Amino acid sequence: MAEIRLENIVKKFNEDTVVKNLNLTIQDGSFTVIVGPSGCGKSTTLRMIAGLEAPTSGDIWIGDECVTHTEPGKRNIAMVFQNYALYPTMTVRKNIEFGLVNKKVPKAEREVLIREISDIVGLTEHLDKKPQQLSGGQRQRVALARAMVKKPKVFILDEPLSNLDAKLRGQMRRELIELHQKLGITFIYVTHDQVEAMSMGDQIILLDKGVMQQVDNPMKMYHDPNNVFTAEFIGTPAMNIVKRTEMDRYLPDLFKKAAFVGFKPEHALLVDEEWAISNYVIMESEILTTETLGAETIYAVRNEAGMMNIKSFTEPITNTKKIHVAVAYDKLYFFDIAEERIRHSYSHNTIPLSQVKKPALVGGN
Amino acid sequence: MSWIKARPYVMIFPAILVFTLFFLYPIGYMIFLSFHDWNFVSPVKEFVGFSNFTSLMEDAKFLQVLRNTFMYSGLTVFLTISISLLLALWLNKKGAMYGMVQGAIFSPHIISLVSISMLWMWIMDTDYGLLNWFLGLFGITNIPWLTDPKTSLLSLIIVAVWKGIGYYTLIFIAGLQSIPRDIYEAAALDDTNRIRTFFKLTLPMLSPTLFFLTIIGLIGSFQVFETISIMTKGGPINSTNTIVYYIYENGFRFFKIGYASTAGVILLLIIGIFTVFYFKLLGRKVHYQ
Amino acid sequence: MKKNPFWKVINGIGLLLLICIFALPFVWMISTSFKTLGETMTFPPNWIPNQLLWENFSKAWNSGPFLKYFLNSTIVSVGILILQFATIIPAAYAFARYRFKGNNFFFGVTMVTLMIPTQLIFLPVYLQMSAFGLLDSLWGLILPFASSAFGIFLLRQSFKQVPEELLEAARLDQASEWKIIIKIMVPMAKPVLITFAMFSFIAHWNDYFWPLVMTTTEASRTLPLGIAKLREVDGGVAWNILMAGNLILVIPILIIFFFGQRQIIRAFVYTGVK
Ligand SMILES: Nc1ncnc2c1ncn2[C@@H]1O[C@H](COP(=O)(O)OP(=O)(O)OP(=O)(O)O)[C@@H](O)[C@H]1O
Ligand SMILES: [Mg+2]
Repeated sequence: MAEIRLENIVKKFNEDTVVKNLNLTIQDGSFTVIVGPSGCGKSTTLRMIAGLEAPTSGDIWIGDECVTHTEPGKRNIAMVFQNYALYPTMTVRKNIEFGLVNKKVPKAEREVLIREISDIVGLTEHLDKKPQQLSGGQRQRVALARAMVKKPKVFILDEPLSNLDAKLRGQMRRELIELHQKLGITFIYVTHDQVEAMSMGDQIILLDKGVMQQVDNPMKMYHDPNNVFTAEFIGTPAMNIVKRTEMDRYLPDLFKKAAFVGFKPEHALLVDEEWAISNYVIMESEILTTETLGAETIYAVRNEAGMMNIKSFTEPITNTKKIHVAVAYDKLYFFDIAEERIRHSYSHNTIPLSQVKKPALVGGN
Repeated sequence: MSWIKARPYVMIFPAILVFTLFFLYPIGYMIFLSFHDWNFVSPVKEFVGFSNFTSLMEDAKFLQVLRNTFMYSGLTVFLTISISLLLALWLNKKGAMYGMVQGAIFSPHIISLVSISMLWMWIMDTDYGLLNWFLGLFGITNIPWLTDPKTSLLSLIIVAVWKGIGYYTLIFIAGLQSIPRDIYEAAALDDTNRIRTFFKLTLPMLSPTLFFLTIIGLIGSFQVFETISIMTKGGPINSTNTIVYYIYENGFRFFKIGYASTAGVILLLIIGIFTVFYFKLLGRKVHYQ
Repeated sequence: MKKNPFWKVINGIGLLLLICIFALPFVWMISTSFKTLGETMTFPPNWIPNQLLWENFSKAWNSGPFLKYFLNSTIVSVGILILQFATIIPAAYAFARYRFKGNNFFFGVTMVTLMIPTQLIFLPVYLQMSAFGLLDSLWGLILPFASSAFGIFLLRQSFKQVPEELLEAARLDQASEWKIIIKIMVPMAKPVLITFAMFSFIAHWNDYFWPLVMTTTEASRTLPLGIAKLREVDGGVAWNILMAGNLILVIPILIIFFFGQRQIIRAFVYTGVK
């Protein structure tokens, strides 16, 4: 068992509290992604798990062993660094072998392990090269091989793909997911890229300013954000969130407890002006910019509630600037003054689009 | 846990021990001795207060030694730096020939001062020396380089400059090469002439190097000993006696330990004041990138 | 810019002149060491000796315990180098990589010793050595240089440039600090270490001052002293023998310089630029 538990972890650098009372459990065998904006404490959290940084207070458990004071080398954790951190004076083989030698693994056994691992990551031909002679992707693989060869219980990766170009990043992402399935051990993966988090993780931990915002699986995170921060962090473009007072003219009294109202850009419909039905918020708007991405189109619109992003999957509108934005009541998210989510029990019947008499000028969804 | 706390101290200990035993303690001891009268054999070191200092300052010979030391250091550093800077501007080019010249002018730097001193003793020999032979071709004859008090210090300065130029030139070349090309291109687009480019761009960009070389050059020159000891023995009539040689003579020939130590302390003080002053005053004007 | 052939010629002559100014003395040194005593006095000087008098070298070598000098020089220069490596590597690592109380203070102390001319404080060091009973021994020549502020300074710079991640990777690989130094830091700092080694070896091989001050008998004298003493051989100076002796002193350095010219020049320049 290699379930990892952080209990009341606090980390201060001098007077700065970088991690504030973190409690979380990372399930054995999971692919857990820690995500959050730059400087929120992701790396620090990871480094505390690896033992490279000691927590100011609190305990860290791996399985049923408390490792708070265990040396990094003894925790059975392998780590892949953002800049790979390959030993520049050693060949690929020596890089992979270094940890094994330190563990006093006999030579014959080392040979077997190296052959096995370099086969998995496709490095066999490059074993006698120095890191400088390899491409970015190959270096990444060496870093992976070096981590894997120790057969760790936990695999930690700190933004391992951020130095690669977009195409290679996509490929390595898939390879990492496969690797996780093959090895079946716990992966903890740090990124600040929410797309990466959504596509890779089976559990996502969202941090902000050293405080855990939400822990959920990707779909839950997307559909059911706990607060404004999560709602704005997940999804591109981010959820539109406006002060409820700005929206008053469009809302029924029913919703007037909330401090903020939000809806996802992809949940809005663009309709023609006379079209009005119940259970929809209808906002008369003006298109400011149109961003065509091929499969989808993103509009920036302005109306009396402010600026909003709308995402639609149909042909871009070119013939008019004036439109109406329609959002179904049940696609609205409400947050209180502390930016926490208000989960509504409000039940309503939104009329399906197909039954609407007059067709939408341009419809989304 | 305590080992982890102690580890850095253990690691620096050997080095710090060496510095303490052979630098810091001796400096302290030298200061101590400068307040005493001692002939090296007598069991008592008699405390004499500042009398060593006062008598040194009244000692015409010591004053000459100080003057010689400053003359020697100042001129050596000034000449070496100016000539090297010119050479660097000239030799900062690619090509086998330039590489060879750079190697040649550098070579004296790795040769022992013993050999260099002897070489130059012969070169500067009044009757059989290469230098006078060469000058003879131009009708200048029989300059008594090392045996005339008028030229002896200058002769030593020539040797020091000859030895030092190659090293300084190469450092200046390295400095020149680290100046980004684009600022010259910008200057060229502004139609700046070469003299102006040198004074307004090159020199300011070289100022850290200049600053550094002046400091190490002076500190190095203050301790000149080998050439004096081999070529002139401080003479004729003390014209080449400088401070380290003076300390050596007083300590090892006349056994005036207190006196010798005081001379050392005085130079140390001068170096200290000078360094602080130099860093404070000029350090601010130096252009760091 | 200056395609003008006239300037090209002037430039070439200038370069040749430079080479002459700096190389001719050594050419003379070599040529003199093969001459007869009489020939050294000819005027103007003969650049190529009439015959090669190899016996000048054996005369120089046999005029004193030169084997002893040579061995002493080797022991002192190499011994200093080994001790310096042993003291500066851990110190530079600690200064570069650990946060501890007094880090800045002790590093400051190190830098102060860098600013103080060593030859200025020889007298108290001499007294110190005499108190330790190390006068006139090779230890007396080695120990004062058993560490090098300059070496620590250079190496610390270079250790500081190693990314922290690399050390962390090594720690996760269960490497001890000692192993990190030997297997990762030192190989990465190899150019600096070679630079420093050459610098140090040349300086101490050539050193005349300390052996002069610290030794009194032949048993602990080094080559430069032996060479300097050649001058005092019976009355007049035998330039041919003297230069033969100097050549013996210079040759090891010249050989090193010949093979490692680029590296040495880079070494010295590097130490000056940093
Ligand atoms: N050694 C340190 N000393 C002082 N402050 C530190 C140290 N390491 C990190 N911090 C601070 O802690 C905060 C969190 O840093 P951390 O590296 O964990 O951020 P991160 O979430 O990994 O960011 P990024 O996405 O940019 O890598 C930052 O504000 C940083 O300045
Ligand atoms: Mg980070």
